[in-house]
Amino acid sequence: MGRSAGNVLAALAVLSFLSAAVQAQTAQAPKPPSPQRAPAPDARLYIIYPWDGAQIRGEFWVRFGLRNMGVTQAGSSAPNAGHHHLLVDVTDEIDPEEPIPTDNRHLHFGAGQTEARLELPPGKHTLQLLLGDPEHRPFKPMLISKKVTITVLPAAPARTSKKATGQGG
Amino acid sequence: MREEFPTHPHPHRRLAAILAADIAGYSQLMGRDEEGTLRRLKHVRREIVDPTLEEHYGRLVKNTGDGFLAMFDSPLEAVRCAIVIQQSVAARNTGLPRDYWLQYRIGVNLGDVIVEPDDVFGDGVNIAARLEALATPGGVYISGGVYEQIKNKLVCGYQPLGDEKLKNITDPVRIYRVLPDPASLTGAVKRPQSHWISAGLAAGLALIVAGLYSNGYWSAGGSTKPVSAERSPERAPVPLASATNQPAQPQQGEIAGGNNTNAAKPLTPPADPAQGVAASNSQVAVLAPSPPAVRTIQTASGFRDCETCPEMIRIPGGSFRMGSDEDPSEQPIRTVSIVPFAIGQSPISVAEWNRCAAAKGCQFPLDGSDTAPARNLSWLDARQYADWLSQVTGKPYRLPSEAEWEYAARAGSSTRFWWGREVEPGKANCRDCGANQDPKGPMPVGSFARNAFGGADFGGGVAQWVADCWLANYRDAPSDGSPRTAENCRENVLRGGSWRSSAASVRPASRTHYDTGVRYPAHGFRIARSL
Repeated sequence: MGRSAGNVLAALAVLSFLSAAVQAQTAQAPKPPSPQRAPAPDARLYIIYPWDGAQIRGEFWVRFGLRNMGVTQAGSSAPNAGHHHLLVDVTDEIDPEEPIPTDNRHLHFGAGQTEARLELPPGKHTLQLLLGDPEHRPFKPMLISKKVTITVLPAAPARTSKKATGQGG
Repeated sequence: MREEFPTHPHPHRRLAAILAADIAGYSQLMGRDEEGTLRRLKHVRREIVDPTLEEHYGRLVKNTGDGFLAMFDSPLEAVRCAIVIQQSVAARNTGLPRDYWLQYRIGVNLGDVIVEPDDVFGDGVNIAARLEALATPGGVYISGGVYEQIKNKLVCGYQPLGDEKLKNITDPVRIYRVLPDPASLTGAVKRPQSHWISAGLAAGLALIVAGLYSNGYWSAGGSTKPVSAERSPERAPVPLASATNQPAQPQQGEIAGGNNTNAAKPLTPPADPAQGVAASNSQVAVLAPSPPAVRTIQTASGFRDCETCPEMIRIPGGSFRMGSDEDPSEQPIRTVSIVPFAIGQSPISVAEWNRCAAAKGCQFPLDGSDTAPARNLSWLDARQYADWLSQVTGKPYRLPSEAEWEYAARAGSSTRFWWGREVEPGKANCRDCGANQDPKGPMPVGSFARNAFGGADFGGGVAQWVADCWLANYRDAPSDGSPRTAENCRENVLRGGSWRSSAASVRPASRTHYDTGVRYPAHGFRIARSL
């Protein structure tokens, strides 16, 4: 919208020029959404630390546990593997078929990270892990951890912030 | 780094100005006086090169026998450094017999390189080396990318030498010769009439040669051999330009020929004095170099650098209050100044992305409607597109800095949204942004209102990668609009929110972040370019 007719014509010219080249390559194109995967039947996703009811002061590490499945990078279609998402204070229902949202409450670990440094404001918070498939969607059925509730004691101000592992605190 | 992910390998890359230098006629010098040459070379290195590099914030990557390779964050500093080295070396040569002059040839290029602890790799380095091989002894040759960065900042003459196809480099590279004294270029025009005549003859010859060249005849060695003596110091280095000297230079046959601009070194001592940078064959400058491969087209809102290039809008310079009091990540609020630049009117579309993919500049084509914003792209993908577009156009395309993005999005406003304080339908593409939304994906580019700068899609649609590495807030952030970068950056910043976001995320101040090398369906980008 709002584009001039000239631009549209130019765009059309490009497109016709392009289409052949692009078609030639569609074999390599990212596939249309593949069916959602099932997790291993005995897979278990859990938070190693902090434990439910923990009282914490300042920044802390959250450590992710996954049993009977592997961790891989987002986009990788390695079988029986996925990547972690940490849900912080998420109360909304997770859409089981859509990519897991990305915002300050839905932290993605698409590089295959298995822990995260968090800095949360004082008060009660919930943490929950959710395993994502290559396209960032939940597995079907969803592989999700028990939700742990922690209390952050007054000390550090600031906000939810994901910091990649090893980046220093 | 991320070698552990075979699907998306990415060693550490960065944009850098690369300076390549070597000594002209080194083997002859060595043949004449091995020990003396080596001793003088060491002195030059210790007393001129090393301190000059340091003074200009350069890093010596390695010494290469008779030359060296250095890396700079700033192309401006790189060129300054090159000029200072050349002038210092020239000063040292005075008083020595001509046969004993040490003269560097220097090439400077701006490019994306792979950095390893003791070396750098990539086209960006190769081009610098090629420029160096073309340069006249005592001269500095720069690529178009460097020229664009420094032309208005460094008062020098820049002699355009046209677009040159360099060995093993896919796209032609625009080359400029740096003339430390800006007057030398215009001065060259006032030459004796005989030169004008020769220039006129030369122009005709140049046209003929250009025709041959463009028709692929250039490689037919024999007949064009005299013209291909581009390595001769007295002659302009680019085939098209060097042709212009032919009528006046009957002795060019002495130059051992071959088109191998890479390996050849001058076989005769430089006939040009140390000031060769500014002297002689400048009549070349009065001839038009080969026409640019791309042509900038003015559009109603801005420009395109080629017919199929993304439409850019010009953003005026100024300063603004960056950040907001709504989220700690957007604080402290501070005043940031922005120099004029251009930014994509919209995010890159699927059609635009696929043009890069078809040219093998990007790794894969995208499905979806041509007018949809390109998405499911990592920061590295976005960078790759910018690099490709820079190569194709010869213009310095890049990702905008966070500051530039917010400045362009605000377009002079200081309200919560760029259009005002409240959510309004028709302004942005997000979950709760009002009418005209699709929960399954972003709307086509340009579907929503434009801001005061004429920019579209600065709220929602696809979240847009910017150049900056993610840092949790603006503590110690620069106030000059430059991006914050870091070695081994793992996460980069995204701006604007997506169609899936809440309205709070489409505020111009809102920031988020994601793993540098990971693709996500709601992430795309918008391109920027320095003016």
